[in-house]
Amino acid sequence: MFQFNTLVQKAQSLIDPSVAVLSPTTERNPSKSVLFRHQFRLPDSQSPLQEISAELFIPTTHTRSTETSLESNVNGTKYAGELHLSESFLCFSTQRTSFLPNSSFSASSSFTGQTHGTGPAGNGFTLPLCAIRRVERMKSQSHVFTLALTTWNGMLVRSSGKDTPTVPPQRLVIHLDGSQHACERFCDGLKKGLREGTKEVDRLRTVVSHCYSEYLLERLLGPCRGNEKEDTYRREPPDAGLGMLFRYPGDARKLRDRSKMRLWGEYFRENGRNATLVRQPTFHKLIRVGLPNRLRGEIWEISSGSLYIRMRSPNLYTETLSKHSGKDSLAIEEIEKDLNRSLPEYPGFQSEEGIGRLRRVLTAYSWINEEVGYCQAMNIVVAALLIYLSETQAFFVLSVLCDRLLPGYYSITMYGTLLDQKVFESLVEKTMPVLWDHLVKSDVQLSVVSLPWFLSLYINSMPLVFAFRVLDVFFLEGPKVLFQIGLAILRINGEELLDVSDDGSFISILKSYFARLDESAHPKSENEKLRAITRFQELMVVAFKEFAAVTHASVAEQRAKHKDAVLENIESFAKRTSIRNLGPESKKLAVKDLGAVYDRFYEILYERQAKDKAADDEEKWKERQKLRPKFLSVNPMVSQEDDNRPGRVGMGPSPSIMEYTDFRNFLAKTAKWAVSDSPASPVRADQRNSTQRQRRKSASAWNDSAEPADHDFMQRLFRHWDESKQGGLSLQNVVNGLARLKGTGDIMATISYFFSLFDDQGNGRVDREGILSMSEALLFLSRRGFEGTLTPSDSSNAVDQLASATEPNAKRDTTKLSTSERFLGSVSAFIRRCFEYADPDHPANQKEDSPTLTQVEQSVDRFAIGDEDADEDEEDDLLEFLETRGNSKRPFPQTAVSPVPVSSDPLRDATPSCSPPLTARPKVQASNSNSGSSHTQTRAASHNLALDPENPLHITLATFRMVILADELLEQFFESFFPQSFHLSDAPNLNAASSPASTLSGNLTTFSSLGTPVKNLMSGSSTDKEGFVHVGRAGGVVEPGSRGLRGVLDNIVNDGMRMAAEMRKRMDEAQHEYERNNNSHLGPRRDEEDEDDEFDEKAPARRDQDEDLLEGAEVASIKTMRSDTAATLQPDLMGGETKLGE
Amino acid sequence: MANTTSGGASAPKPSSSVKLVLLGEAAVGKSSLVLRFVNNDFQENKEPTIGAAFLTQKISLPNRIIKFEIWDTAGQERFASLAPMYYRNAQAALVVYDLTKPTSLIKAKHWVAELQRQASPGIVIALVGNKLDLCADAEGSGDAETAPSEGGGDAETGAEGAAADVEAETQTDTNARKVPKREAKAYAEEESLLFFETSAKTGSNVADVFTAIANSIPESSLKSGRGGGAAGATQAALSGAANRAEEARVNLGERGKDVKDNCAC
Repeated sequence: MFQFNTLVQKAQSLIDPSVAVLSPTTERNPSKSVLFRHQFRLPDSQSPLQEISAELFIPTTHTRSTETSLESNVNGTKYAGELHLSESFLCFSTQRTSFLPNSSFSASSSFTGQTHGTGPAGNGFTLPLCAIRRVERMKSQSHVFTLALTTWNGMLVRSSGKDTPTVPPQRLVIHLDGSQHACERFCDGLKKGLREGTKEVDRLRTVVSHCYSEYLLERLLGPCRGNEKEDTYRREPPDAGLGMLFRYPGDARKLRDRSKMRLWGEYFRENGRNATLVRQPTFHKLIRVGLPNRLRGEIWEISSGSLYIRMRSPNLYTETLSKHSGKDSLAIEEIEKDLNRSLPEYPGFQSEEGIGRLRRVLTAYSWINEEVGYCQAMNIVVAALLIYLSETQAFFVLSVLCDRLLPGYYSITMYGTLLDQKVFESLVEKTMPVLWDHLVKSDVQLSVVSLPWFLSLYINSMPLVFAFRVLDVFFLEGPKVLFQIGLAILRINGEELLDVSDDGSFISILKSYFARLDESAHPKSENEKLRAITRFQELMVVAFKEFAAVTHASVAEQRAKHKDAVLENIESFAKRTSIRNLGPESKKLAVKDLGAVYDRFYEILYERQAKDKAADDEEKWKERQKLRPKFLSVNPMVSQEDDNRPGRVGMGPSPSIMEYTDFRNFLAKTAKWAVSDSPASPVRADQRNSTQRQRRKSASAWNDSAEPADHDFMQRLFRHWDESKQGGLSLQNVVNGLARLKGTGDIMATISYFFSLFDDQGNGRVDREGILSMSEALLFLSRRGFEGTLTPSDSSNAVDQLASATEPNAKRDTTKLSTSERFLGSVSAFIRRCFEYADPDHPANQKEDSPTLTQVEQSVDRFAIGDEDADEDEEDDLLEFLETRGNSKRPFPQTAVSPVPVSSDPLRDATPSCSPPLTARPKVQASNSNSGSSHTQTRAASHNLALDPENPLHITLATFRMVILADELLEQFFESFFPQSFHLSDAPNLNAASSPASTLSGNLTTFSSLGTPVKNLMSGSSTDKEGFVHVGRAGGVVEPGSRGLRGVLDNIVNDGMRMAAEMRKRMDEAQHEYERNNNSHLGPRRDEEDEDDEFDEKAPARRDQDEDLLEGAEVASIKTMRSDTAATLQPDLMGGETKLGE
Repeated sequence: MANTTSGGASAPKPSSSVKLVLLGEAAVGKSSLVLRFVNNDFQENKEPTIGAAFLTQKISLPNRIIKFEIWDTAGQERFASLAPMYYRNAQAALVVYDLTKPTSLIKAKHWVAELQRQASPGIVIALVGNKLDLCADAEGSGDAETAPSEGGGDAETGAEGAAADVEAETQTDTNARKVPKREAKAYAEEESLLFFETSAKTGSNVADVFTAIANSIPESSLKSGRGGGAAGATQAALSGAANRAEEARVNLGERGKDVKDNCAC
């Protein structure tokens, strides 16, 4: 054994442990640190820095003399164990463990086995380094390192100057058991720590002064000291809870409080007190028999480790209270409700004093841990604590309870409670199979009985005196005690429970058992001793003897086993509830859609949270490294448990507000168009390898999903959905927004909604900029459905559908092209018409100067920032295009004849599906068709002025509607494409998009299946909803520079010309008079160059903005589209001019 | 611990047990309602229910005895995820809100929705507005208007049903009512719930709620009582409660018709 140990030590000494500990991997995977902290109940700032096998020697009688020669003293107790050094603690435990990263996990978790009543820390000590006064290296035989520690035991609280000789210094002798090197290293570490520790002595002094043990020992030692100190030391006893004012529960004599006090006094004298206490077997035995009232709180503090947290920040409690005084919160409201109903039978809580303390402790904790806030049952637990603890002490014990001993019990989802119920049930099943079967058979749910036991630590199940006895052991040994007691209760009552088969009887059996805990367990026994054993004692014996196998480890194992199921349950409940409570608006969406939105919403937030946390950890780790081995300024209350990783609704409070970045992510997972087209740089065939890498990188930045685009439209959507203008969206906001877009299925509503997105002032008007933004948005939204993009960032569509296709399918191309160009045409028509029918803001400003057409042309030119390099003639493309078109059977006959998507002239007849608001328009229409009226002139004038910043203009919703409904494609766009482009429960496309295979740029060389979308657009626009999914899926993956692209451009141009001509013809028929008028009013045209200048002044800003919004190739693609828009318009205008010329 | 089943002793009436669950926001008086019903008692500062409390009580109907197995649940929001454990297999539910707290009605509506979707089909749900004693109109259980302390505002309200949803601010200190009876009642009708306003403190209407529930449980869904055991505490109050319930039942018919008159708000 020894040899093995030295080997391990040697191996450890080869690798510098301090370096190993500092590595970020252990930081991220802190299980060993956590175990270490749990074993010694240390604050979260501590981590195992050094460890070494050692032997602790405690001389039995050092009360007699101060200068005992330790070497010669053989009367004492020896403990073999492990000595650990953390940043500010020196710990010794007989529970052999190793927490260094290079030791095996099983070794480090061995303390979780049976502890035989000692608690996980075993015999030994947990000394704050600041409590060590001196360390001497003793002369020793051979190479053995022997250290003698002298502590501040008993010297901190008394006034300086007169050191009373009656208090012998506490000395501990430790033989280090390791290689010379290891010992030296350990001592070096210790030295460093001690130096730091000296700064903390004052804090220790403050904390210790609140300990009743100091007071007690002063009194005990008093007589020896003489009278002159009477005034100095006979101070007020420190606050030991409400019990001092309102009596402690139970009969002190029956509890033999006095003799317990005496025993503890003796123990403290020999083994140190509070911070300098050494744990010997008597310590654990004294706890088992029940703590004396006045010391109960202090021992709880020590055994739970809350004392060490209090030492970190002794003023946290008062500071928290004063910092938040006067503030209100939900937790406070809930606390107030329960203040009068917390242990109401205890006199202390019928008084303002007790209630005030309870209020302050609960409130302070709710501030320090807002995630937990306040949970019913905490009031009962804290009320119980306050009987024995001061407010400050109770506050820290509560925090240890919530953070460490009962993780997740009081959290917002109470997952810890539910989990432990499952664990408890499984333990019952394992240990008492007969009873378990009976419970199952009679359909009795065990947890309805046992849940309150755990949640309120038996405090309101058992009579208080007994509940506190359970607590005594619980704080020492940990949560497994709750299980042991629970199992023992069932075991003892097992036979009776087997006789009944309904919840009621089950509960009443246990109730009456609890009521008779103080009775004799064997009332009829002849043996007096046996008769004297109470039921409670029996319970303790059964719990810790029969269920000794229930250990920290077995509980942890069961927890791990059930955790997922429990969390899933909670989450599905949370989801169900949350969705149900979304309000009337949400009813417009299908339940499964709501479910999908819910999942996606939280998925995004959790990704975000996880990312933030990772970054945060990184930061913390760096900081920590900087500070090490100094003290950490990290809030000692912040728990860093393994379990606390974010990511699950079930684990507790979760972020609920989505910021814009998250929103983009959300959209990217919802709608095809919200996925960015570009990775960091455009993909070219020749740099495929590098881009591949790049893409992978960028993908990982967005958590392996499609990178979201950023566009003015998305920003508008975000702002619009953010109803409360809080800069973030709640689930409710998102659902409302989607419901309005998708839920109505009413084109009018969709159009109005779209309009309102651009109605910045909220006055029902969209100005020039707005109109341009609208058209940009239309292009943006459609670019994946109808138009190929130059550098797609995700090629899932291509992969899905065309992975094998290497040659562009000509037929498909052309059909696709027709859709794209048609839509483009529609958008260009949209712009033109908007300006045409726009109303001037100031009627007075109307001038009748230059003709519209050139200006419109130029307005469109503003969009033409484009590259038109790809303009090689592709005659055959066009031919084929025409052919295909002629042959294909389409639901819209007119498309075969004419590419113009306008089915009806808006100026002549109102669109059939006209809604009431549109009827506001007929006046205009009438005037149009009747021609010649001043109204037309007005419009013509405004049209002329469309781009004159001097003459602001706007369109109203009615105008917008009319313009949209005038165009079949746009109508379809709003009727189906736009609402349907938000994929909720039916969103397979983006999952595919995020699959790694789809990012292989090799697939980009293929021209995607452009035919599908067209077919769907044509047929599915009004009937087949699914069709539009495919539009999204197949949409626009075009290899840059391919023949297809050129074809696209050419066809757009050509078709645009045709379309424009056709449209012009129709328009002309309707606008004959109008055109005439227009002609006559042409007058002196404005100088075109002037106007160019004007635009140049204004345009750059816009362009820059665009550049910002759209990355790389996306800009390019938009530019291209704009240029096409211009191209399509040009012939249109030319046609017009030709007419005019005639 | 086995107890004598009084139902069996008094008459050959069949006895069946009904699982009833109480749901509602924290501190609306769920436990107090149960305590009133089971023990005819009231405690000013009742400890909050942790998890759930279980109590039983029997009431006697003309043709049978109903033994309620009452699951009284914790009200705090975060305990909601435990609720399915308790309403599992419940045949009846009492969804309680606080007449003086409008948010508690919202919460109650959530519970109703949850039950309608998740609980056993055919569950009988009663919506109960508690703390009637805090309302100035509390005593006006008949047609008579209790004299409102200040002005005619309340009198008008009572006389004219349409004005029932006069907001609380127009009412005086003596009337803490914030949820108009009309509003809750309309909701209850819409969702086909039983509806009552009660006071656990005075005991007003409490027995009626349980009687009405007992009468609404379809015969078919009644199984014979399991084990027949009841908590000892319930026995003492049993006969009294049963009698009260009986009386209440007699009145039930009329009341059903004149609910509007009952409404004194």
